[in-house]
Amino acid sequence: MRSPKKTLTRVPPNGRPAKQRRVHNAVETPSRFYGTPLPGVRPEELSGTLVVIEGTDGSGRSTQISLLTEWLESQGFAVQTMGLRRSYLVGEDIDALLAENAVTRMTLALMYSTDFFDQLERRILPALRSGLIVLADRYIFTLIARAAVRGIGRDYLHGIYETALRPDLTFWLNVRPEIAFDREFKKSQTISYWESGRDMSLSNDLFQSFIRYQSMIKREFEYLSKRHSFLELDGESSVSAVNRELRKRIASHLAIRSTQYRPSHALSHLWR
Amino acid sequence: MATITSDLAPAADPVTAKQLTAKRDYPGALVVVEGIDGSGKSTQLYLLKRWLEIGGYRIHFTEWNSSPLVRSATRRGKQRRLLTPTTFSLLHAADFADRCERQIMPLLHGGYLVLADRYIYTAFARDAARGCSPHWLRNLYGFAPTPDITFYFRAPLDVAVNRIVAGRPKLKYYEAGMDLGISLDRSESFRIFQERILNNYDQMVETDRFVLMDGTVRVNKLQKLMRQIVSEKIALQQFAPKKK
Repeated sequence: MRSPKKTLTRVPPNGRPAKQRRVHNAVETPSRFYGTPLPGVRPEELSGTLVVIEGTDGSGRSTQISLLTEWLESQGFAVQTMGLRRSYLVGEDIDALLAENAVTRMTLALMYSTDFFDQLERRILPALRSGLIVLADRYIFTLIARAAVRGIGRDYLHGIYETALRPDLTFWLNVRPEIAFDREFKKSQTISYWESGRDMSLSNDLFQSFIRYQSMIKREFEYLSKRHSFLELDGESSVSAVNRELRKRIASHLAIRSTQYRPSHALSHLWR
Repeated sequence: MATITSDLAPAADPVTAKQLTAKRDYPGALVVVEGIDGSGKSTQLYLLKRWLEIGGYRIHFTEWNSSPLVRSATRRGKQRRLLTPTTFSLLHAADFADRCERQIMPLLHGGYLVLADRYIYTAFARDAARGCSPHWLRNLYGFAPTPDITFYFRAPLDVAVNRIVAGRPKLKYYEAGMDLGISLDRSESFRIFQERILNNYDQMVETDRFVLMDGTVRVNKLQKLMRQIVSEKIALQQFAPKKK
């Protein structure tokens, strides 16, 4: 009973994308940045590892990051996390802008990029200099996708983020919008204004608006996934299955021998 | 064609070329003044504004760094010295975007003559002096409409710096470029920072078609020239009060 739609979202977790990455690494210049590095940064001093988890709302990103943090710490690796709107500089200001609905698309896009670079420069780069593992709950790709569906040019967006650090691994937890809707609704008993793209006047019906918006985001991700060699995982599988896959890939990147893991009592409620 | 290292970079084509040929799809007009602090640009724009106001023209005046949406973030960043060259630049771009989308563009579409005290060239000159890549900056402000006239007020460094230092009890941290660590002495740091900005402005005179104005000329004489240039380059009757 496999629908064609479903098979599209399921990519067999073979070694192919990882292999491709290694070829890229061999060819590319030593720069760990997409273009010109940020002013004052020496790429060679960044000894840590940047692992990005992307995926729409309800794809299970934060659950996986909690579990991965525990696993990595149990293996003796120090972990730093980052995510959207978590900068000291403008995190709260963006919350306020979102609450007001007065903000226009370009201003919002640039506030998000300020938020991103503040975290990158003040938290993430220092962590990578100290050899930490950084787990990013979303990265530039969500910011690019959200702005692109609102009509801001992709070249323009890529230009802004060309000074960003290239992740060592980028996972995409792919989930159909309908499933994301179910999960989000279960979590908060409602669907938020921004998650359903209501600023875009797609539909007066919240469900329709959510599905159309998340489908647009998903198409952007499909494009980005090819361009940036994402490791695509089926976000509709069980938490433990997704986690096993993530551990496998990260372990091979960090040369960790064992991928055995059982969540501690504190996190066991996430394990289903 | 995207290579592996530049898979995030935009097309190599410099943004300037695109900007110069950008077509205007609005009936309004945009006049901006640029120049380092103390070059006399604000005084001159004020006098131009008074002239047009008294004549009853449809005008709007806007200045750099004035959007309430972003103001609190900018203030916090500056007070606590949290800003890096990149976040300094992005925060000012967000502020400008807010003004551009909610003020400048609607006014240009509504047929206003918009006067701007400082514009995107301020960011190009100042943020590049902080170490941001000029190419990155050009892209960042790629959404801004190209001015009909850009007046560049140029005064010798000493003249401009003395005007500022004499009039202000204490130069602010970022204003003086203290974040660059050029000098521990604020006046000294300010001077070197302004010199870099001045050099960056000078390099844009031709590429961005600046109208060069000598900031050492007497105020009323310079204003006469400014009004003359505006009358020549802009069809002012379009903004004149409608006769009934």
